[in-house]
Amino acid sequence: MPEAMALNVKTSDREASTSARSLADPRRASRVVLAIFLAPALLVYCGLTAYPAFRTIFDSFFTIEGVEASFVGLANYRELVADETFWIAVRNTLIWSFVAPVLDVATGLLLALALYAGVPFARFLRVAWFTPVLLSYVVVAILWMWIFNYDWGVLNVMLRAVGLDSLAASWLGDPNLALASVIVTHAWKWAGFNMVVCLAAIHSLPREVLEASELDNCGWGEKLRYIIVPMLRPTLLSLYILAFIGKMKIFDLVWIMTQGGPLWATETVSTYVYKRAFNWNTFDLGYPSAIATVWFLVVCASVVILNRLLGTKERLEY
Amino acid sequence: MAVVTDQAARHAVMPRLFSRGALALVLGIYTLYTLGPFLWLATMSVRTTAEISADHYAWPRPFHWEQFRSAWVDSDFATYFWNSTLVVVGAVAIVTLIGAAAAHALARYRFRGNRLIYGILFSSIIFPPQITLISLYQILVDYNLYNSLLGLSLVYVSLQLPLTVYLLEGFFARIPQDLFDAAKMDGYGDLEIFWRIVLPVGMPAIATTLILNFIQLWNEFLFAVVLITDPEKRTLPIGIRAFMGDHFQDIGMIATGVMISVIPVIIAYVFFSEKLIRGMTAGAIK
Repeated sequence: MPEAMALNVKTSDREASTSARSLADPRRASRVVLAIFLAPALLVYCGLTAYPAFRTIFDSFFTIEGVEASFVGLANYRELVADETFWIAVRNTLIWSFVAPVLDVATGLLLALALYAGVPFARFLRVAWFTPVLLSYVVVAILWMWIFNYDWGVLNVMLRAVGLDSLAASWLGDPNLALASVIVTHAWKWAGFNMVVCLAAIHSLPREVLEASELDNCGWGEKLRYIIVPMLRPTLLSLYILAFIGKMKIFDLVWIMTQGGPLWATETVSTYVYKRAFNWNTFDLGYPSAIATVWFLVVCASVVILNRLLGTKERLEY
Repeated sequence: MAVVTDQAARHAVMPRLFSRGALALVLGIYTLYTLGPFLWLATMSVRTTAEISADHYAWPRPFHWEQFRSAWVDSDFATYFWNSTLVVVGAVAIVTLIGAAAAHALARYRFRGNRLIYGILFSSIIFPPQITLISLYQILVDYNLYNSLLGLSLVYVSLQLPLTVYLLEGFFARIPQDLFDAAKMDGYGDLEIFWRIVLPVGMPAIATTLILNFIQLWNEFLFAVVLITDPEKRTLPIGIRAFMGDHFQDIGMIATGVMISVIPVIIAYVFFSEKLIRGMTAGAIK
């Protein structure tokens, strides 16, 4: 955002000039004023984000049944390493986190390009393609459970209509198909979001470059490959990271559609934590706290590594 | 000569026409894919379950608008709707006010630890929800806020705080300093400046965060399902999910309930689509 940068430069100039007359510096405020502005937000942050996070980490060294907490050291973590279900959940979540963002971002970019190229009814199409983003996971999950229904779901009805009866399947009931089915559902919801971001990014590209390429008789394929994609690189990368983080946290859709089944085929780390903490009657909050702690570290580390690896200079936004 | 150019022209036109047609077909199919399920849902919401069982894809005739009355009154969707409204409106109002105050202080004043506080508030955006979820459950139980709409609202405030501060800080930082200098000369105090200048001038950005926070919280599921078990206190997402668990076969009524939850979001989007999209794109474009 060049204009923002220009403004930054301007303000820092002004900072230099005003520091001379620091007494009346309008950028200074008394501690009381700062406290009034910042205290409520910091209080909410400390009480409802920082403290619970630390408490979860602390709890992971205990076995907690109701109000009874007994220190068990690293026992929860040792159990975790040997927990097969946990590793299945990790595998599923990682498959999802690496595969799905490619799908989401690529679809989003193609849709944005179609709109940018000026297809007819672009206004209508933009709204139509964006609609799924607005729907809650509960709504999306219910809709797609119906679409995947074995007897009357759209998918099987269409397959049978064209004579491909043998391909009709129990999409969410088959361990081999369930994860892919849920991933497709998730991509359905998020493609529109990626489209809107890509479209805004394309529109903010310098016009001269695109016009120059048009004068040079650059075809769409070349324009895409040599101009648009390289110039959109930062946007595409942050979209990828954003999608990646989202997938590491995925819970709602899986929980409603399959509850992690069949046979742990769609179990994610989030659904497993939820099951261990609130769904199975194990009455122990220590072990799920350990899973949450491990996953918290994994997510934070992944974001740092991805940022480094993909060479985004700026800090991740959103 | 004439024939050659004619042929060349036809060669150029034919593939273009073909690719245009193929493109239109692909886009048409994709549109059907995104919009179709939603339209299917809309038709089912005004059909009775018996009609749906007879044919899942028929056009509603007649339109059973009384399904909405029945979902609203007999199936408790009114309760869920008002619970959602209370929790979400309360949380959005609080998070906007305290987020704006913090964003203003961070954007306008120079003090030690400014960037540190910003970083701390902002970084929790990447936290997986489970890291706070289990403890929040314990904390709310300790403070008698478990199964309470107030408790859920407070949690929602903390969930949306990072995004709110991030979006508003970016916007407030671009309000020209001259405005503040002039206000100071006129004898405005720091609080007056926030109340009478920053909030009105920042209205476009505030509207963006309002609508973004509203839609995200209206659709929130995980924290609600953990922190609310009392059927009387359910919000719409968990209410629908619970209804679906109990009345798995009653597809018509489920569809109607789902539509009730979707309508406010669609209305919000119709009126504020530009603002919503600006908020969503603000983070990802550099």
